[in-house]
Amino acid sequence: MNAPINVQDRFHQVQLESKDYREDLSSFWCPGCGHSGVLTSFLRSLAEIGIKPENLMSISGIGCSSRLPYFVKSYKMHTLHGRAGPVATGAQLARPDLAVVVTGGDGDGFSIGGGHMPHMARKNVNMTYILMDNHVYGLTKGQTSPTSHRVMKGSVTPFGAVEEPLDPIMYMLTYGATFVGQAFAGNVKLASQLIKEGMEHKGFSFINLLSHCPTYNEIDTAKVFKAGCEILDAGHDVTDVNVAMQVVQKAKAEGRIPTGLLYKVERPTLDDRMAELVTRVNGHKDYDLRKVVDLSRP
Amino acid sequence: MQGKSKNDLIIRVGGEGGEGVISVGDFITQACARAGLDVYTFKTFPAEIKGGYAMYQLRASTEAVYNQGDIFDVLCVFNGEAYEMNKARLKPGHALVYDCPGDFTPDIPEGVHAYPIPMTQTAKDLNNVRAKNMVAMGALSVLFNIPEASLREVLTAKFARKGDAVVQGNITAFERGLELARALKKTDPWAIGTPKKDPDRDVIVMSGNNAIGLGAMIAGLEFFSAYPITPATEVAIYVAKHLPKRGGTLIQAEDEIASISQVLGASYAGKKAMTSTSGPGLALMGEMIGMAFMSETPCVVVDVQRGGPSTGMPTKHEQSDLFLAVHGGHGDCGRIVLSVENVQDCVALTVTAFNLAEKYQCPVILLSDGSLAFSTQSSPYPDPASFTIVNRERWDGKGEYNRYKLTESGISPMVDPGTPGGMHIATGLEHSEKGTPSYAGENHEIMQAKRFNKLKTVVNDVPLTEVDGEGDADIGIITWGGTIGVVREAVQRLRAEGIKVKGFYPKLLHPLPVEQFEDFGKGCKRILLPEVNFLGQLAHFVRAETSLRPESYTICGGLPFTPEMIVKRVKEMLA
Repeated sequence: MNAPINVQDRFHQVQLESKDYREDLSSFWCPGCGHSGVLTSFLRSLAEIGIKPENLMSISGIGCSSRLPYFVKSYKMHTLHGRAGPVATGAQLARPDLAVVVTGGDGDGFSIGGGHMPHMARKNVNMTYILMDNHVYGLTKGQTSPTSHRVMKGSVTPFGAVEEPLDPIMYMLTYGATFVGQAFAGNVKLASQLIKEGMEHKGFSFINLLSHCPTYNEIDTAKVFKAGCEILDAGHDVTDVNVAMQVVQKAKAEGRIPTGLLYKVERPTLDDRMAELVTRVNGHKDYDLRKVVDLSRP
Repeated sequence: MQGKSKNDLIIRVGGEGGEGVISVGDFITQACARAGLDVYTFKTFPAEIKGGYAMYQLRASTEAVYNQGDIFDVLCVFNGEAYEMNKARLKPGHALVYDCPGDFTPDIPEGVHAYPIPMTQTAKDLNNVRAKNMVAMGALSVLFNIPEASLREVLTAKFARKGDAVVQGNITAFERGLELARALKKTDPWAIGTPKKDPDRDVIVMSGNNAIGLGAMIAGLEFFSAYPITPATEVAIYVAKHLPKRGGTLIQAEDEIASISQVLGASYAGKKAMTSTSGPGLALMGEMIGMAFMSETPCVVVDVQRGGPSTGMPTKHEQSDLFLAVHGGHGDCGRIVLSVENVQDCVALTVTAFNLAEKYQCPVILLSDGSLAFSTQSSPYPDPASFTIVNRERWDGKGEYNRYKLTESGISPMVDPGTPGGMHIATGLEHSEKGTPSYAGENHEIMQAKRFNKLKTVVNDVPLTEVDGEGDADIGIITWGGTIGVVREAVQRLRAEGIKVKGFYPKLLHPLPVEQFEDFGKGCKRILLPEVNFLGQLAHFVRAETSLRPESYTICGGLPFTPEMIVKRVKEMLA
């Protein structure tokens, strides 16, 4: 659709500081919210990448976390609950020369939007998805989410949740995401490093940031996340999906949370394959449509 | 049939799916169009993938044809099942062509002109059982004056890529059919007229679904997101084949919600984008269509309607999504709704749909239907260069950019991502001129007025209503969609009998062109409004928004109206 400009060619075009990417609008999150750490990390990674703000599309759905684009200087869309992923897919395919980052919560991504998650991963849409995973619904004031612990008491589960949580990392490894990382939102150094690498990665990068909710989640506090998170061994093989899955399962069994880059491979992206189709038929926007109409002459 | 000339011919071919019923129909249609006749076809497919009853009805005439007609004049059946399905409709004067010896022996009704043709036997003798349909086609050509030379050309062109042997095999079977029919004595009056020579005549023959795909590409389509659904899938199939030539992108999404979401993302990113679906898909898209209105993002959604509600009758004809198209979704949510009459409209109004979406920055829903989806029709050659193409107004880069700037027209310039100085948010939340969320009551009133006021001029934008007839009328007939073509013919027949009738054919259904309705109503004593749905959906809107009191005539039996049904109803009203 466009002249093939690699989005990566848009990096290192400016030297700005984190604060230069911060929109002049005060945050609406509660004091002590993990999402502030995500925002700080995101802004830092943008500064490190050196992208011009107008070359970034920041897209979200609905929830506390989905307000994040408002605070980031960029082109942005605040869409519907669960639909940030497909909206971003359309935007990315339309402008493969721009960077696309989705931010959203665990309910937005894995409950109402759960049907879209496998497809972004398997299609390898060239964009970054930052899950701000606080294991709870905050904006609706404290209900259990698909990543909540089974015993968690929410307003709709006063006797404790009865369902097992899903694991976003296992999910993404299973469906073919080509970049999977995890960090504690309070660890800005690691989180911003992962976001930067995720944006530099050509393909679908999924980053799970464990982000504590000080208002509605008494189980997964900052302290608990911090104590549970463990940096991956330096020798971890990021190219083997089975190794990544084993690491996650083993840590879970032992009550630990593996953080860092779990998996990273290269595979053609969706927009690459679309561009190939156009090349194969020697397509161009001035192609004479009369040739198409002529096919319907009797 | 009364009012229809003997060389305006309707042929129905029936048989087992896979016996070549559809190809015979297509060949005759193509050949007639090539020879200069006007054609209009109507098909039913078996629900099964293989086998089951398949039917192809085609109407060809030296005059303009607007619909599939009342009933066939000629029935050609390949097997006993097809005969059983249709024998109740055989009336004195009809012609019957049938396979003999075959798997059945028809008891020919009194007055029916019967022509037994050994279709299966001849094909077997030629060691080419698959060419049974070509034997039938040869016989039909001789019996009813279907242009033989054109048939040969079409047949040769169609089989050319399979090699000379296949071409020759089919030609031989076709010629055997010609000989078999020449040996019979013709007793019926049916024969297609000889077309007038018109050197300027330039036509295409295509189906409604393909024509929508073509219209979209003429309009400048760049991004299409599809999810398969009967009877809309062929729109995507056509676009998938041709859009890459223009450098565009078509992807298949995981569901209809994802389709419309991708369309909005692509449109925000500056591309002309669309999706096509049927009623169940449109129902799922409601929330995102609301976002398109709220965030003022252009998009085109095609709904090829089918029998509803719920899963309903997926392969059957109905016009019952008007309520959904006009009011689907929550909150006060505007949009533009257009509906198409025929294949020519499918091209032209799809272009209009894009133009309106781009100009007014809102969702545009284009309603087609299950019959038109597969109906092939001859229509004037649409030269892509002859269409006016509208692109969204874009920011000139001067001063401070406010995405939702209040303007006199209500239209605020857009800006493509990547443009310095134009950064903004497209949001489903109520927002200020800048796009900042705002729950202030006064702001919501101002912004709702902005979004709705801009739609007030749509009605003046392009002529999308048509009055058929002049002066006063005893009965005025208002209708929409594919039913328009049926009413056109009914009006002609009634007028020929001296009855004072007029037709009114709106193609813009929302916002409703109220003034035009009122003007039409002034000259009519009574108003009839036929439509293929149970509730009388357009009649409901006409009663709600105008002073007219149309008398509803609704059917929902899975088939379109026939001209005769309208003629009869009008006469009953006047009796």
